[in-house]
Amino acid sequence: MAELEFNHVSKVYGADTPAVRDLNLRVGEGEFVVLVGPSGCGKTTALRMVAGLEEITSGEIRIGDRVVNDLAPRERDIAMVFQNYALYPHKSVYDNLAFGLRMRKVSKAEQRRRVEEIARKLGLADMLQRRPAQLSGGQRQRVAMGRAIVREPKAFLMDEPLSNLDAKLRVQMRAEIARIQQALKVTTLYVTHDQVEAMTMGDRVAVMRDGVLQQVDTPQRLYDAPGNLFVASFVGSPPMNLFEATVEQDGSRLVFGDAQLELPADVLSERPALRAYAGRRVAVGIRPEEVREASGWDGARVRGRVLLVEALGAEQLVHIEIAATPLERADLVDAVAADPGPSLGVEDLERSVTLLGRFDRHLLLTPGEAVEVAIDPRLLHFFDLETGLAVPTVDVPVAAGVVA
Amino acid sequence: MSSVTQIAPTPVAPVVTWPRSRKRLRKAGWNVLALAVLIVMVFPVYWMVSTAFKPGHKILSYTPQWFPTQPTLGNFTDAVHQPFFWHAVKNSVIVTSVVVVLSLVLAFLAALALAKFRFYGRKPFIVVILGVQMVPLAALIIPLYITMARLKEVDRLSGVIVLYLTFVLPFAVWTLRGFLLGVPKELEESAMVDGCTRFGAFVRILLPLVGPGLVATSIFAFIQAWNEFIIAYVFLHTPERQTLMVWLASFTTLRGTDWGPLMAGATLCALPVVVFFLLVQRRIAFGLTAGAVKG
Repeated sequence: MAELEFNHVSKVYGADTPAVRDLNLRVGEGEFVVLVGPSGCGKTTALRMVAGLEEITSGEIRIGDRVVNDLAPRERDIAMVFQNYALYPHKSVYDNLAFGLRMRKVSKAEQRRRVEEIARKLGLADMLQRRPAQLSGGQRQRVAMGRAIVREPKAFLMDEPLSNLDAKLRVQMRAEIARIQQALKVTTLYVTHDQVEAMTMGDRVAVMRDGVLQQVDTPQRLYDAPGNLFVASFVGSPPMNLFEATVEQDGSRLVFGDAQLELPADVLSERPALRAYAGRRVAVGIRPEEVREASGWDGARVRGRVLLVEALGAEQLVHIEIAATPLERADLVDAVAADPGPSLGVEDLERSVTLLGRFDRHLLLTPGEAVEVAIDPRLLHFFDLETGLAVPTVDVPVAAGVVA
Repeated sequence: MSSVTQIAPTPVAPVVTWPRSRKRLRKAGWNVLALAVLIVMVFPVYWMVSTAFKPGHKILSYTPQWFPTQPTLGNFTDAVHQPFFWHAVKNSVIVTSVVVVLSLVLAFLAALALAKFRFYGRKPFIVVILGVQMVPLAALIIPLYITMARLKEVDRLSGVIVLYLTFVLPFAVWTLRGFLLGVPKELEESAMVDGCTRFGAFVRILLPLVGPGLVATSIFAFIQAWNEFIIAYVFLHTPERQTLMVWLASFTTLRGTDWGPLMAGATLCALPVVVFFLLVQRRIAFGLTAGAVKG
């Protein structure tokens, strides 16, 4: 076991196709860090550089106290789980599990002991003589995990190991991998594009975009205090509602569409920097679960119209069109979360934003219906429109490792 | 001498649903066609073998004899006792085995380079490999003869081996490259992370997985080298240095053709190809990579 560290690591393909830019990241001993980001953000490249499957253009990578830049993969003492499992099809499950041990000249008896122990733990004991082709997807996944575990390496590297499984199995294996990692306490770097996976599994989550690390923090803090617009829009499902609003001259109110929200004193005292935005536009965000139906709310209300109701069983996801300005800089947010633009048939709203709300399932709402929603200004997130950076708060001066 | 190839025409699925009887008729029609093709392919082989067992006077009779009613092994003894038979056998075995082994090694390494490494000029190289196979052999014979004569490689087995290699390699490289491309690169990478060197990953993971490709290639090389006639006939003059195919031609003389022993000799020459194929065909287990990655 060892810690793992990226030190100003960059990777450039060809002459000028940067995949990873100046990455600094430390995975502590026994820690589970998830690298997450949309496809093409450089997360897999970063992982492969640790494994030695990709050369490092500049910077250095350490495993334990060794700089491994120039070491061959086999000398790095790490184990990797591939997206497509990469089981050796011509070898039995037993030989697949034992391969790494055999390569490291572990004695035959020891090989057998360790393989059988792992097989028992992973529920593979009955299928040691089978070929990978005779296994189900979940079993192959387990063999791939077992092959990594049995080596007792310094670190695990996992490249989207769950993305080939169907939804149900994925949830199951998600818990299983997290459980195994906790039991073994092996330093793990895990790559995924699925933010739910990232949030549920990681001790810490590192969000990447276009080769640049955006923010590294615990899942909860990443969710509660996203450092910039991209992280805000990427983390969370459904994503955070984001739109533009104006802070009034005296800094006491937030205006968007025909709604005017009082900014209570504690919001301003918590974000002193917000005063600097008086008379200017700012990006505001609110999580779907913080959007409430307005009955019983004595603060400012926002009028809107129900576009769509998605029943999720325990709750319902309501799409509400409100008058507000969508973010102009679509490049600052995650593409999936970008507002699709005004819908048809809303002539009275010059510019509109679809607000997602998570409501109690007992609330009866039908599409087309006019509703009023309550938005508590204390729950709002504020971002600079130009840089996309979160307006710093007193307790989170600048979110850890945030990049504009 | 031609190896028996089964040609099964794939019936085109009718777009409209035909009445049952017409569907059946259609199927029967295809089957009859397939049978006809099979007969055309198999008959010469049958005729060769059956003629080999017929005594001389039965071979050249006006009423064709479909079955050897009085089978004899005389033709075979005659053939084997022809001058230079054992020389020809030895030469053919040497040429064929060297060509098979060399072509496998060279083609595997070349295919590896083409499939797994990126280098300047790789694409044109692949195209050229395909292109050279389009050039007809007959057009090359004379320039090749002149070149080989300058290199003092005419009438030597080594010269013929080199020539065969040049004809076998493009196809072999092309085929093996396809097999290598079919092996996901994660398998090698995984082996390297597991503790193999790059070469170790080739030998332990890649080689067994392209086994079927190697078998297919070796069959091709074997057939090419064993059955080749024109080059051997042109380049090998001395009877002691001729291969079996050239030796077979010696049955046709100015006084006519000695059909019985010729057919017996031809049957003997065809046997190794069939035996070799039967030996290795089990190893052509396609779909060996199934299960490596999510299918």
